Amino acid sequence: MTNAKLKDLFCPESVAVVGASNSFDKLGYHVMKSLVQGNYGGRIFPVNPKAQQVWGINTHPALSEIREAVDLAVIAVPAPFVPEVLHECGRKRVKGVVMITAGFKEIEDAKGQALENELGSIARQYDLPIIGPNTFGFVNRTFGVNASFTPEFSLLEKGGVALISQSGGMCHLCGFLAMEQRMGVSKLMSLGNRLNVGFPELLKHLVEDDEQTRVITLYIEGLDDPRDLLDTAKSLRGRKHIIAYKAGKSEKGDSASRFHTGSLAGDYQIWKGALRQAGILEVTSAEELIDTAKVLDKCPPAKGPRIAVLSGQAGPGMIAADAVEKTGLKLARFSEKTQEEINRLLPPIAIRTNPVDMGPSWYDTKNILDILKAALEDEGTDGIIFIAMFASANVHLAKGMADYLNSMDHFKKPVVGVFTAPPGIWDNEIRAMDGQKGLSIVPTPERAAAVLANLWKANLLFG
Amino acid sequence: MDRLLLGVDAIAFLDKEGIRVLESSLARDENEAASMASRIGFPVALKISSPDVIHKTETGGIRVLLKSEQEVRQAFREVTTVFRSDSPEKKLEGVMVQKLGRGFELIVGARKDRQFGHVLMFGLGGIYAEAAKDVSFRLIPVTKRDAREMIEELQCYGMLKNPRSGTVDLPGIEDFLLQVSALIEKHEEIQEMDLNPVFASSSDIEVCDARIRIG
Repeated sequence: MTNAKLKDLFCPESVAVVGASNSFDKLGYHVMKSLVQGNYGGRIFPVNPKAQQVWGINTHPALSEIREAVDLAVIAVPAPFVPEVLHECGRKRVKGVVMITAGFKEIEDAKGQALENELGSIARQYDLPIIGPNTFGFVNRTFGVNASFTPEFSLLEKGGVALISQSGGMCHLCGFLAMEQRMGVSKLMSLGNRLNVGFPELLKHLVEDDEQTRVITLYIEGLDDPRDLLDTAKSLRGRKHIIAYKAGKSEKGDSASRFHTGSLAGDYQIWKGALRQAGILEVTSAEELIDTAKVLDKCPPAKGPRIAVLSGQAGPGMIAADAVEKTGLKLARFSEKTQEEINRLLPPIAIRTNPVDMGPSWYDTKNILDILKAALEDEGTDGIIFIAMFASANVHLAKGMADYLNSMDHFKKPVVGVFTAPPGIWDNEIRAMDGQKGLSIVPTPERAAAVLANLWKANLLFG
Repeated sequence: MDRLLLGVDAIAFLDKEGIRVLESSLARDENEAASMASRIGFPVALKISSPDVIHKTETGGIRVLLKSEQEVRQAFREVTTVFRSDSPEKKLEGVMVQKLGRGFELIVGARKDRQFGHVLMFGLGGIYAEAAKDVSFRLIPVTKRDAREMIEELQCYGMLKNPRSGTVDLPGIEDFLLQVSALIEKHEEIQEMDLNPVFASSSDIEVCDARIRIG
């Protein structure tokens, strides 16, 4: 599947929804909702032989009855009708298909596999790229199309992270976490049964042909031919960050083997080694995936493990310092010049070496950001954890930092912020600061350290 | 049909393929054992050689640190007597006389995985291999960088690089892993191979025992 074909599929000028519906219990209803409420800029053609209008748009009784060109067809009709619809797509020279319909090779009944094989040969006949079957669809935030049955994905912030999943459910989990954590997304999709578009094709497209995507995340359950994906990743090494979350970690090595190698080789053990070999950063939880992707997208690279911890309160700073060492990072040792500068900015009533307790500067935002500047300029630091907890008396701190941040130059090192306040209090300020100038915000000091460790690992994997 | 290479046969195969092995010969009687030991140089180890025995330590079929011909003769008589009385049904080929290995005991393995094809394994070897499960994997072929990372990923890496616990030739291990990877590429018919233990010291990396399944 060539890159150009996928680009057409993901950037359609017109979309037909085969199986568009006015009834809430049909997926075609929700796909229409996604397109209409997601402010899709192209033409929408609902296909329904019974209704006159769906979502206020005139319908066509069949795909073949549409006079205008159709770039993308979203198919949400029952499985037995799909082969004929696919032939229609081919004859109409549709450029790509999203096949939401399920009931193919994933079902126990052998008829499912037979039907999927038939789809495969029809797709080959017309050289037609298909996302799915058995997918919720895709969202291209960059281009502005939500071709999925989840309209709420149109609320995702635009950004540089592509979320590519084998499972629809994991895509929903990560998509909603992304909203909560203000992660910017370029594309989000489930590949479903991967009829002819799988991870290797997607990876090539996203690395070579999608300028807005800077970080690629993959959720993988199991692949028949993992080498295909791994070799593709290896050949693209060093161009964009690739993160993978692999499910199925339970050990099922062949215990009957009389060989150690056999009994020690759980499937997952091999995956772990193979991912690193291919230059892919492995994460082991959904939140680690979101944190890492978000921060990689917004921050400069961590070129080493030496971290400065600057905290508005001593406790969270100490927790961050512990986490730094636990994750294999090191606490930076400030140069004399940096230490003098920090000593000038802070009175000797708090800890001024790393981790720095900036408590005395609560009411002086400029001071706090000057400390940040001094730590950034120190050649002995590779990244910063920057912490401030809300307190009634320092309520103006976040606003002051947000304003001051605007006047600062773009950072050359990653700064991971932890700014925590009761819901509703610093929301706007946090939103304003997150992703600016190389600052990215995560919920806790532990997660800040973990994400910086991953930034450093990602930098090593790049080379 | 699968074929299993064990002990002396496996060692001879590896030797022929240019993999460093501990010098070994198969002795049929105690005279042969004594003269082989003299030729190899003391101390030596003796090991029961039988196609029916996989884990030799468990059957009491190993004697190590034998320092003279006399000790070799006595050890030969002991291991063969015990073997014949404990396992009369098992075939005795002879006793392997082997130079004594020194250094860390490591395991290097390879197997053909249903999904991934040939994979290489590296880890802590010897009798602790199964219990410690301190291993790393890569797909074959491996690069120098992969080999280095396989070593660094082990929990016992700190021990391997610590000069106070006896230095190990780490670049030598990297080369060794590359060599095994190349061997498997050349012999695709190998289904499974365990080199365990492999002795690694500051100067040598030598295979002490091996099992190879060819299919």
